[in-house]
Amino acid sequence: MNTKIKAKAKAGSQIKVITGNAAAAIGAKLARPDVVAAYPITPQTEIIEQISKFHADGEMDCELITVEGENSAMNAVMAASLAGGRVFTATSSWGLVFMYDAVLATAGARAPVVMVNVNRETPGIIAVSSGQQDMISTRDAGWIFLIAENCQEIIDLVIQAYRLAEDYDIQVPVMVHYDGFYLSYLSEVVDVPVQEDVDKFLAVLKDQPERTKLIPGGKLGCGSHGILDGYLELRYKHVSAMERSKAKFEQTDKEFQEIFGRGYGGLIEEYRMDDADVVLVGSGSMCGTIKTVIDKKRDAGVKVGLLKIRMYRPFPSEVMVKALKGKKAIGVVDRSLCFGFKGGPIYTELKAFETQLDGSKMISFIDGIANTDITIANVEQMIDATCDLAEGKDVREVTWVSYPEAQEPDSEKMGGR
Amino acid sequence: MTGKKKGKLTKVLDYLKHDDPFSKGVAFCPGCSLELLIRFIPQVLGNDIVITGTPSCSAPVLLGQNNQSWHSLSYFGTLMTGAAANATGLARYYRKAGIDNTVICFNGDGTAADIGFGNLAGAAERNEPFIYICYDNEGYMNTGIQKSATTPFGASTTTTPFGSASKGKNLRRMNLALKMAMHKIPYTATATMSDLGDLAKKLLKAKEAKERGFAFLHVFAPCPTGWGYAPENTIEVCRRAVKTNYFPLWEAENGKIRMTKTVKKPKPVSTYTELIKKFAHLNEADLQILQDDVDYEYCMLGGLSVLEAECQLPVSTED
Ligand SMILES: Cc1ncc(C[n+]2csc(CCOP(=O)(O)OP(=O)(O)O)c2C)c(N)n1
Ligand code: SF4
Repeated sequence: MNTKIKAKAKAGSQIKVITGNAAAAIGAKLARPDVVAAYPITPQTEIIEQISKFHADGEMDCELITVEGENSAMNAVMAASLAGGRVFTATSSWGLVFMYDAVLATAGARAPVVMVNVNRETPGIIAVSSGQQDMISTRDAGWIFLIAENCQEIIDLVIQAYRLAEDYDIQVPVMVHYDGFYLSYLSEVVDVPVQEDVDKFLAVLKDQPERTKLIPGGKLGCGSHGILDGYLELRYKHVSAMERSKAKFEQTDKEFQEIFGRGYGGLIEEYRMDDADVVLVGSGSMCGTIKTVIDKKRDAGVKVGLLKIRMYRPFPSEVMVKALKGKKAIGVVDRSLCFGFKGGPIYTELKAFETQLDGSKMISFIDGIANTDITIANVEQMIDATCDLAEGKDVREVTWVSYPEAQEPDSEKMGGR
Repeated sequence: MTGKKKGKLTKVLDYLKHDDPFSKGVAFCPGCSLELLIRFIPQVLGNDIVITGTPSCSAPVLLGQNNQSWHSLSYFGTLMTGAAANATGLARYYRKAGIDNTVICFNGDGTAADIGFGNLAGAAERNEPFIYICYDNEGYMNTGIQKSATTPFGASTTTTPFGSASKGKNLRRMNLALKMAMHKIPYTATATMSDLGDLAKKLLKAKEAKERGFAFLHVFAPCPTGWGYAPENTIEVCRRAVKTNYFPLWEAENGKIRMTKTVKKPKPVSTYTELIKKFAHLNEADLQILQDDVDYEYCMLGGLSVLEAECQLPVSTED
């Protein structure tokens, strides 16, 4: 959550106290989409209510499709996007799962859709609560994934997402994630950008070559059977575009800073990392708390920093390795599970780069599942354990911070269910 | 059909005002009604339509492979699950951008009546501005002739096979067109390939109706391979389906039903089923069940058309 909002607005912009959902809705409005299609689900509903009100009040000139389900929301915006439109949709958890086939098709068609996903636990156990399992369950759908930490970053990322998705060199759909409940309903001070500035920021796209569009009489098809080499070619091009999006995101963040006066550092944000011996790796709203605890620990002389993941897909391995190389110990905080790997998903992915980290040791923390708060005390515990690891003490590889009963999953010990 | 000589043509050919955008030989089975239908539509409506299609028997021809295509239409290969929503997205964007368009969402009964029925109903409820055409071959043909909601009572399919403990599908078929008419959309119609003039008129009416919203065409489309009849009999199968009232031809404007062809003395349904192997195992009593169902549906249609004429649907204040 927000730790360092500068309450000084840029000339003309408005300082407002709004929820994360309102920030997403206003961000979408400022991007001037042609077509919006969405379906309500907790904790996303407020976004589409706000957009519907903007539309009803004549403040948003878009085709608003009040679909009968999320599957149709994604299918409608995918098609509108391929026809040439700028589109927006938003969902969460069960909704994301219900549109999953269309989420994959959208990526495969390289339709530049922008979607907000308000993170929530997935179906299975009916958990109306926060968690990143929905994001993790779709991580290899072929979308660019961005994660916001606070309400300001939500509005800024929604706007930036269009520069990535619709960029001629990228043309990959973008999902902006933020924590349900913690951010969706949290009211914070937000510097709401001016429409002219947003128009200016997005105008770059108009100067680019026009992307291929599906138009009547255009004698053009989309969605033919991809077979053998044809399929391979498309997949390789998709992977390449994803790789290109890394540099593009850093570039757009810089341009964003020039116009709006705030930037985030690109794929990752490094907080007090320069001389840090010990690092927590996190994402989303937990980072606000982590920064607060780091400041406290720093006052007590502990050299700890935070690496916040802003772009999660494609996985920003290069910048992460560069930032983490040589650190004594790294604790990765996951708000989701990765069955069979014991540690959390982001921890598991980072492990693949362990040999490039010059001996940094790593441990996994699982916390913040189903609205269990990642409290100051929890973060302190994580930092202490990571410091212990740095000192060579024997530390458990995986800790379920809010569930001390959990040992490392051990089928024999746990027995039965 | 450019350069055709005036005066020498039958009525149906008069409707064919545009080129056939398909290549001469395409990958349908011989005698497939789908080929006739799919070539017919753009010749009547023009080549500037945007057509969407799903995985189905239409896919090999409609959707092409890699960068190769069997036709020169603009097309979009959709998922079975969300076809009507894809068409919605296209039509809505074109409307927003002021682009003249005729979007045709072209699907089998498997998509229309089963897996994609939810979003078809959603599009109808929202009165989306495009034409939805369901070609009904009464089953999932592309995956090897499985039962769908429109498979009729008694039909043997690979998931309702005839066997010592089974007489084929033991359920009645869904009346998809009537369901859609009940949405009170601007236009609903049934059609088939034995009555091409009727089909052409209905296509043109649908195109005109989509200016006011959703248009739905239910086209009876027999499948020689899946149903078991000789390829040269496709038109005869269509004709008998109409003459027995197995597949009556009607249309509905804003839900008001009107028969477009009345059969004076309907033949028994057995004159239709006798051509088709998927019914070959049915005895007289079984056929009577099918006959009763046909009679019931036809009676309902007549009753509804009378009711609709008596009851006034409130008119929207918009437009
Ligand atoms: C979601 C989904 N489930 C299953 C399939 C497999 N599948 C491909 S074609 C088909 C049948 C299509 O039937 P229909 O729409 O009636 O068209 P037809 O093959 O009869 O022309 C099925 C089930 C699929 N493509 N997508
Ligand atoms: S299986 Fe039937 S519907 Fe499919 S192409 Fe062959 S004849 Fe046509």
